[in-house]
Amino acid sequence: MSETQEDKWGVAHVHASFNNTIITITDETGAETLAKSSGGTVVKQNRDEASPYAAMQMAEVVAEKAKAQGVEGVHVRVRGPGGNQQTNPGPGAQATIRALARAGLEIGRIEDVTPIPHDGTRGPKNAGF
Amino acid sequence: MSERSVSRQKQEKRWYTLMAPEQFDREELGETPADEPDKVLGRTIETTLGDLRNDASENNTKLTFKVNEVASDSAYTEFVKHELTRDYLRSLVRRGSSKIQAYITVLTTDDYRVQIQPVALTTKSADESQEKAIRRTMIDIVEESAQDRTYADLVDSVVEGRLSSAIYNEAKTIYPLRRVEIQKLTLEARPEEVAAEEETSVDVDEDEVAVDETAD
Repeated sequence: MSETQEDKWGVAHVHASFNNTIITITDETGAETLAKSSGGTVVKQNRDEASPYAAMQMAEVVAEKAKAQGVEGVHVRVRGPGGNQQTNPGPGAQATIRALARAGLEIGRIEDVTPIPHDGTRGPKNAGF
Repeated sequence: MSERSVSRQKQEKRWYTLMAPEQFDREELGETPADEPDKVLGRTIETTLGDLRNDASENNTKLTFKVNEVASDSAYTEFVKHELTRDYLRSLVRRGSSKIQAYITVLTTDDYRVQIQPVALTTKSADESQEKAIRRTMIDIVEESAQDRTYADLVDSVVEGRLSSAIYNEAKTIYPLRRVEIQKLTLEARPEEVAAEEETSVDVDEDEVAVDETAD
């Protein structure tokens, strides 16, 4: 493993939809992935992939891997599905941030990076809640 | 097994320290790992003004830097983007008041092409004509300020908020304003790119003019 002494920072990209949660921890530029995980790695049933419990488990694993590489804290960038779909992050988002903090990673800025259309195609008829 | 090979791969990567440009006191921005120095080129890093200046009150501004030079252990960056955070901009917008935006592309004295987006928010809903007048002053001030400033100076005046307060002072006589901000500044083209464009565009321009004249 690489050096563990410095206080490096990373970025935790959390994609929280209503069907899954994907966590990726990268370096500060976002170019190099340090650790990643998604709902399917911790639960058996598809419908549980987006659950807060799964998010917690994933966050713990990911935090462990990140810390092993010398990452002390993370800035968090949360996003929901966005675009034509719902702009609010799913149930896994809040749980992830909590679990990352509990796992001993410092939390820096938290930012919402849900893609917002500057107008494009018309959305599906039941979208926009 | 696979994990071990991953860790070996990681060991080969070196961490490069990213440095801010001189304009921002060569502050350390962060670190990034790479196995080859060339791969660091072109990476961008985003920080807030508050982080850079150690002043938590200015956390509404995001600054993006791009790596353009790599030394042995550190990488040097240039300023490419200034942006207000989405939540701050959203917090400024109120019901029953107008939001006046403009998009202005200007050329600085040292031939950088920059796009600036000022935004003004009024206390009450303004008329179309007032909005137009405010937009006009915004455009005039931005173009004027770009004429006698280098890229670094222009960025400085935007980041320090001097440009937005200049717009505020001019435009508040037209209609009472709540707030004026520069919501975005992006670097569009560097001097070399601008020069290259000019070289390729000149011929086409002259041809078209000639054609027009004969047609008339």
